[in-house]
Amino acid sequence: MDGAPSTIDPVQASNVYANAVVLNAYDTLYRFKYLARPYEITENLAVGMPEISVDGLVYRIRIKEGVHFIDDPVFDGGKGREVVAEDFVYSIKRHFDTAQRPRGAWLWQGRIIGLDGWKEAGSDYNEQVEGLRAIDRHTIEIRLIKPYPQLIYTLAQGYASIVPREAVETYGREFGSRPVGSGPFRVTSYDSARIVYEKNTKFRQEPVDIWAEGYDPVTQAHIGVEAIQGRSPPFIERLEIHFIAENAARWNSFTKDNEIQYLTVPNEQYDNILASKDPIVAKPEISEKYHLRHSVESGFVFINFNMNFPEFGYNDDPERARRNKVLRCAVIKGFDWARRNESFYFGLGRVFPGIITPAVPEFDPELSEESVKLDIDGAKKLLADNGWNEDTIPEMVYGTTAGVNQRMFYEQFRGFMKKIGYPPDKVVLKQYATFGDFIKDTSNSRLPIVAKGWTLDYPDAENTLQLFYGPNGSPGSNDANYNNPEYDRLYEQSAIMLPSPERTEIYRRMNQMVIDDCIAIAGLSRTRIYLWHKNVIAMPDREIVSGFYIRFVDIVAGAD
Amino acid sequence: MEVIKYAIRKLVGGIPLILGVTFVSFLLMVYFGPDLTFEMLGKNPTPEQIAEVRKELGYDRPFLVRYAEYLKELATLDFGLSDSSGESVSAMLTRSIPISLALVTPGFILGNLLGVLLALVAAYHRSGWIDKAIMGFSVVGMSISFLIVIIAFQILLSSSYGLNLFPVRGWNVHSLYDYVMYVTVPTLASVFVALGYNTRFYRAVIVEEMTRDHVRTARAFGIRPGKLLYKHILKNAAIPIITRIMFSIPLVIVSGSLLIESYFGIPGVGKVTFDAITTGDQPVLKAVVGLTAVLFVITLLVTDILYRAVDPRVSLK
Repeated sequence: MDGAPSTIDPVQASNVYANAVVLNAYDTLYRFKYLARPYEITENLAVGMPEISVDGLVYRIRIKEGVHFIDDPVFDGGKGREVVAEDFVYSIKRHFDTAQRPRGAWLWQGRIIGLDGWKEAGSDYNEQVEGLRAIDRHTIEIRLIKPYPQLIYTLAQGYASIVPREAVETYGREFGSRPVGSGPFRVTSYDSARIVYEKNTKFRQEPVDIWAEGYDPVTQAHIGVEAIQGRSPPFIERLEIHFIAENAARWNSFTKDNEIQYLTVPNEQYDNILASKDPIVAKPEISEKYHLRHSVESGFVFINFNMNFPEFGYNDDPERARRNKVLRCAVIKGFDWARRNESFYFGLGRVFPGIITPAVPEFDPELSEESVKLDIDGAKKLLADNGWNEDTIPEMVYGTTAGVNQRMFYEQFRGFMKKIGYPPDKVVLKQYATFGDFIKDTSNSRLPIVAKGWTLDYPDAENTLQLFYGPNGSPGSNDANYNNPEYDRLYEQSAIMLPSPERTEIYRRMNQMVIDDCIAIAGLSRTRIYLWHKNVIAMPDREIVSGFYIRFVDIVAGAD
Repeated sequence: MEVIKYAIRKLVGGIPLILGVTFVSFLLMVYFGPDLTFEMLGKNPTPEQIAEVRKELGYDRPFLVRYAEYLKELATLDFGLSDSSGESVSAMLTRSIPISLALVTPGFILGNLLGVLLALVAAYHRSGWIDKAIMGFSVVGMSISFLIVIIAFQILLSSSYGLNLFPVRGWNVHSLYDYVMYVTVPTLASVFVALGYNTRFYRAVIVEEMTRDHVRTARAFGIRPGKLLYKHILKNAAIPIITRIMFSIPLVIVSGSLLIESYFGIPGVGKVTFDAITTGDQPVLKAVVGLTAVLFVITLLVTDILYRAVDPRVSLK
């Protein structure tokens, strides 16, 4: 992987790296199907899908019987005990206990009856939560304050991994480096360079039905997954995940043939491996040695205007507010997505209008692409007609973390702005030594524009639409601080709706509002290319919550 | 007895140094270092949640209280748990320092030994073509970025584009053979770079020593070159050489070799330190900075004692 998790405690599984490692050591109630694209949810530790009350407020979930945690000294006699419904309740409660340093509370905050109150009352684990109970040894009941259609997706997150209370209490914060789960693998060593697992021999026997996993013989036959049909994962005895941030080192290790066997190809290698970009075809020497898969990421990259800045966003003076909108629209017109795509993503990214990404079912392929088309003359005219010139245009501080690529992003952006008449000396770079410092300033609304990437937590456009929901303003994820009552009303209306054409229609209206109000320069979903050795049977992935696929990975018989 | 008294005096005298170093570095960590708060928070945090995390991290407490705790941790060598991984800092250092030592020791020894040897040869042939060749090589070693050297050695010796003799990266050491396989390329890269700096420095020291009267006299007496270089020049040049070597040791032990460890995927203390710097993991940083300061004080002491050993004129008083 091109990054490392700082811990493997599920309460802190906040990124793809952490999810990839956590989901192989722990169980979740649900998971995403191995082969189905678009993503589909399926049972994992749960028995079937939840029973949901007619009003959508009560979920009952049965968990499988006879599933055990791995052996560990924290258990009586060192033998892993059975996973029970109370373990799930405990695992979710941890997110509402500050001492656990949790990061996943946002998934269930204000959703489950009594959970927020349990936290306010001091997070006493011996106290019951009305809306989160084990009603018997193998049945969980969740009572919601209001319908939450995305709930089931949250139960497939690393955050929702099931941990044994005795391990957390025994190891304290060191639990983050001493995982005790019931997942397909058990961790044997973990440090900043790699994590090593061995097969959890007690993992439940569940033969794979590749058809139920979404197998598509037209697109997936070449990777050999038919070989796992009817067999119970995990298939490999030992799994090593190496954390290699340096692209060259990762590539050299992969091509050496006896080290890492899978990687997401670094952008700078695209030229070396592809014979054609459209369609994407590998060079013969690459396809001879490796399997290749490509997919458009589920998330996207975009640039927000921070509407809290009166120079660009909301302003008490209606006339200035109107001119600010014109200024934002001009900047959007001047942004050359095609060039950005070519320069940084090898021309393989997918540019699309707005904030609903191509990976979700609510994406509208018919939506006008006007907002992502370069229109320098249009931008110049907008500025000139509305009194914006070199003297009146405000200074724009472009914040980014320190790094060569980030600097190039800025320089290109400044170049785009120069073409529409935005003085280069008014597009000012502010670099941050660490990502944490950058986040601190964006969370505190200290930057007028925020360039960012967003990885989808679940395949539902709600996950990106919430980025512009007023109450999520800074320090929340709405760092555009967009505050449109109509948008917020629609968001609240759709938030309790199950997937339906009506909900999709509302989502699209909200998307159009963000476009019309010129709130963001959006967006582009990057294409990722995965390569893996021919002796590996797999369909690797790193989208949504990466990591579930590893249990299905096998090695061709006779191979090392 | 004289040595023990001197050691005690020196260690007590080192306390203000440790206090100064720890105070300044802690000040920088607290007021200018990365803030972990927003990395520890989930999405859409409330102001209350932000305050809770700051409290959990101890950011809300007065600076002097935190500094006093730091000194207590340093005195007891108990630095608590990493803010990032939750792992015991002592366990992290105990695990990673031996790896860094095993990684950098061969390069450190070879880099200094070869540096002295080449410097002796260069100095002996001062201004001749051998001297110029060695100095030219040194300048090359100094001029090329360490990162480029690492990548070049990795490609040349380890990758399928080169000789493909050694592992590209990792540290999976279970035998002497494994050790040799994993340590060779990093060692060669670090020696290549270190030789440049070391040779130039040692040559300058040795050349100065060669101009002394006693060397000229020894030459006049027809002393053999080997004996002249070893007995009359190298021994007398030992003090600056010892100083340079000794003062490298604390950094080697505690800081490891960040670039090498990152690029070769070796979980040593350099990587631990780098991760702590970039994430703002203060417990780890406090441990590394504090231990480095303590080691420097110890190094000062040992260096002084070694001065006395190599030059009886040096007084420990």
